[in-house]
Amino acid sequence: MRNRSLLIGFLLALGLGLSIALTQQELDPYKEAERQRELFRQTAGILPGELYAAQGEELFAKKRGPRNVSLEACDFGLGPGKLEGALTQLPRYFADTQRVEDLETRIVSCMVRLQGFRLEEIERDEVKALVAYVASKSSEMPINVVPRTSQEITMYNIGRELWYHRAGDRDMNCAICHESYAGRKVRLSPVRSPRQGLSNEWPAYRFEADKLYTLQDRIAFCYESIGIAAPEFYSEPYIALSIYMLAEATRGKNRFTEMPGFTR
Amino acid sequence: MCYPDNQEDLEVKKRYILGLLSLLAGLTFSQQSPFQQRVQQAIQSGGSKYAEAMKQDPDQALCSQYRDKIPAELVPAFLERQRKLIKYPADGKLMGDWRLGEALFTNPRKGNCYACHTGDPREAGAGNMGPGLIGYGARGTSEAVVKYTYDKIYNAWATMPCSLMYRAGYHGILTPEETAHVTAFLLDPASPVNARR
Repeated sequence: MRNRSLLIGFLLALGLGLSIALTQQELDPYKEAERQRELFRQTAGILPGELYAAQGEELFAKKRGPRNVSLEACDFGLGPGKLEGALTQLPRYFADTQRVEDLETRIVSCMVRLQGFRLEEIERDEVKALVAYVASKSSEMPINVVPRTSQEITMYNIGRELWYHRAGDRDMNCAICHESYAGRKVRLSPVRSPRQGLSNEWPAYRFEADKLYTLQDRIAFCYESIGIAAPEFYSEPYIALSIYMLAEATRGKNRFTEMPGFTR
Repeated sequence: MCYPDNQEDLEVKKRYILGLLSLLAGLTFSQQSPFQQRVQQAIQSGGSKYAEAMKQDPDQALCSQYRDKIPAELVPAFLERQRKLIKYPADGKLMGDWRLGEALFTNPRKGNCYACHTGDPREAGAGNMGPGLIGYGARGTSEAVVKYTYDKIYNAWATMPCSLMYRAGYHGILTPEETAHVTAFLLDPASPVNARR
């Protein structure tokens, strides 16, 4: 009888200990992401980001569009078809389009200029899969965005203006959280500054949303969460903010995470 | 300001300095410099909804211009302008019902206060961008304390220019009556914020 109540007491204590451990795990977003990632590895054997990248690889190599060509001649800044490390130096200026382009915009440019698609028939999901594929060739590499041409420097300066631009009924800008209070938390989410590596995990699979988010998707999500309607995809605000953040991340000597990333 | 501070690319530097000079000239001769016009052009490229949402009131623009740290000589006028924006409940009561205040404090579409502050100590997911508010009521409910608290919630910029805390009352996210409820949630001795532990 006494043994039995001891046993029950022991089990109760164990249960309490476990539930505390579980709660603590859920409260730390990084540990929770790591746990979710392992669950995917164990149950599916593959990460969702890798699936998107595989889909993108197929799209990349396939002859498509009115001109029936692949994207293998697309130049991401290192030469046609050179994908190794391509993401690390984007956004950058491209002479052929005479614009500063990020990875997403560059993919769209190539689909238009090489494959002959019309802008309005390009599907966002295809661009996202292609982003995942090209990004996968820059996994864990150092970020290397250094504005050099006048166009890149202008775009960086526009990005800095937008970074500090307070607007909306929440009176927000990017800097007030991601600069002044970097290192602290909004709810449970740790907030980083660009120098601390903000933007180094995108594109990433977000398990909370069960979707792949590119950096543009993530910036759009940020705007919406502070009550400002997000810019249209591929427009200049994304490219300006991206070059600003990634140039600052470069100065902070940051690397990309595994690509595509895995996060909440 | 010039980005490539460790490079030999003189041509770019020269062009950049020329650009900077013309930018300064622009500042002198027109209200909007060529660079500001270029920023506006970038904002417009994001579409009409984004451009509309990015419009600023004069003090939002001032905060942006000074990177959220406005010069000391501009502070008194700034605070005065913001103080004038504060409205009070018709019945003059600045402390309402703490129970209603709790819901407003928590609701992400209203106060959304847990994003940055602790409050009820049982809330495990509170952020820490702002000062913790557990036991806030320890300062009592004198008229001065109640008014300070009400004003801070209604218009945070009336005490701290360009602070992260948004002007919930000024923007209509909280009505004066709702502001009084949130004030009560912080100050009422019966509120869980002030529960004896």
